[in-house]
Amino acid sequence: MDIKILGMGCPKCKRLEQITREVTTEMGIDATFTKVTDIDDIMAYEIAATPGLVVDGQVLSSGRLPSKAEIESLLSGALG
Amino acid sequence: MLQAGFGSLASYLAAHVLLCLVPAFFIAGAMTALIPKETITHYLGKDAPKWLSYPMAAIGGFVLAVCSCTILPLFAGIYKKGAGLGPAITFLFVGPAINILAVTYTGVAIGMDIATARVVLSIVFGIGIGLVMALLFARDDQAHNEDTVNGRMFAGQARVKPAIVAFMLLLLALLIVGTLGIGLFTNAYAAVALPVPGTDQLQATLDSLIPYDATLGQEGVSVQGLLLIVMLALIAVTAWLGLNHIDEGFNVWSWIALAFAALTLLIAAVRMASGPDSLMVYFTGRFWGELLVIFAIVWVAWKKLEPHEVQEWLWETWRFVKQIFPLLIVGVFAAGVARVIIPPTLVETIAGQNTLLANVVGVVFGVFMYFPTLVEVPIANMFLDLGMHRGPLLAYLMADPELSIQSILVTAKVIGKTKTWVYVGLVALCSTLAGLIFGWFVG
Repeated sequence: MDIKILGMGCPKCKRLEQITREVTTEMGIDATFTKVTDIDDIMAYEIAATPGLVVDGQVLSSGRLPSKAEIESLLSGALG
Repeated sequence: MLQAGFGSLASYLAAHVLLCLVPAFFIAGAMTALIPKETITHYLGKDAPKWLSYPMAAIGGFVLAVCSCTILPLFAGIYKKGAGLGPAITFLFVGPAINILAVTYTGVAIGMDIATARVVLSIVFGIGIGLVMALLFARDDQAHNEDTVNGRMFAGQARVKPAIVAFMLLLLALLIVGTLGIGLFTNAYAAVALPVPGTDQLQATLDSLIPYDATLGQEGVSVQGLLLIVMLALIAVTAWLGLNHIDEGFNVWSWIALAFAALTLLIAAVRMASGPDSLMVYFTGRFWGELLVIFAIVWVAWKKLEPHEVQEWLWETWRFVKQIFPLLIVGVFAAGVARVIIPPTLVETIAGQNTLLANVVGVVFGVFMYFPTLVEVPIANMFLDLGMHRGPLLAYLMADPELSIQSILVTAKVIGKTKTWVYVGLVALCSTLAGLIFGWFVG
């Protein structure tokens, strides 16, 4: 699973990465994490606001910090 | 000198300031967590008419942009995928200029005249600068407009739940009830004499530790002030334990921290008088008003909002507190110390009158001296005390939040160096003008 966290270094983006890593470890998902911090690259994903969660090229969440449960269901959706 | 620092802290953490800051932080958190960006960006697409996109960009700047981490990506998006340079610039300018925390704090700590001027002139100039830049770079804009399609961010339609609107209005009410200086709120409707002996001696001790000069507008620390400082310390500890991971859920400390926050507001809202055998507590209209609003807020949050919305709101609120408050304390202390070090004659000579030079100096100082959010307020107050005229003061207050190294660098990445320099120039020009106009108006 290819996971990209879109954000320019604010607390929400860091927290998003932290929780998502926890979820992938707990769910036993093999994922590569990339932090996208360049504004041009972020805008390429067409989100209204950071942070953004991109899984295998799909924007699954943007503009807010989803709950851990929500991230779990988003990632299981992406798996199956 | 240290006394000056602590004295400064005391007046900046005084009751009336907390009645403004505490609700303002909760409002900032709510704006960030509960208002979907799409509600505003929907009106900023390529085909939006100018009379709609510019005002919406200004409103968006106020409502959406409490921290630069939101402003910059939104700015980039509006520019690249939407209505173009003009509204994007308006958004970029208005955001930091009328940040809810800074504006309310300015109002309470310096004066409502400056706060109102800040809001009105920022919106006027924000739209103005946007229009000017759109005009200057019209050819670029046209070319770039033609090869972008309306990004997805503008197509989304999002409605704000009525419950959220009600919630935000209640938070606003908390702020207004706490700060409005009308008879209904300042009159006492009940009083209690707490049998605590020696509070007048405590007051005398406090006065000797932190002397104050009422003619200079200093406030010193009262018994009530001491109580509030203790409450703030308690909140800091319990919130650290209870709100750091509130996005995962509530724990015992979360509830305690919130209770302490409510208690702090209520303590700040009463009037106290110390005496030899007892502490008189006057329950003012403000106290009853705050109590009522707090109950309403809790009820709406419990019954009408989703748990994850409440959690996000609290997480964002606490995030702002952690980001801003420690720096604010340091800044206020430093301003207090600087206040007694800097010779007033220096300030008066340069900026005592509402001259062009004075306003330019105000702007230059604001541009080159970067202060964290909210710290520009005690710094401005310090200058005011040292004799700066209110005109150049406004010029400084408008220029300071706009231009930091980081925001200029990112802006340049998005719109290019030339446009960025033009923007910086226009901001400096408008801040100077704003200061001159306001200074002339105030006399």
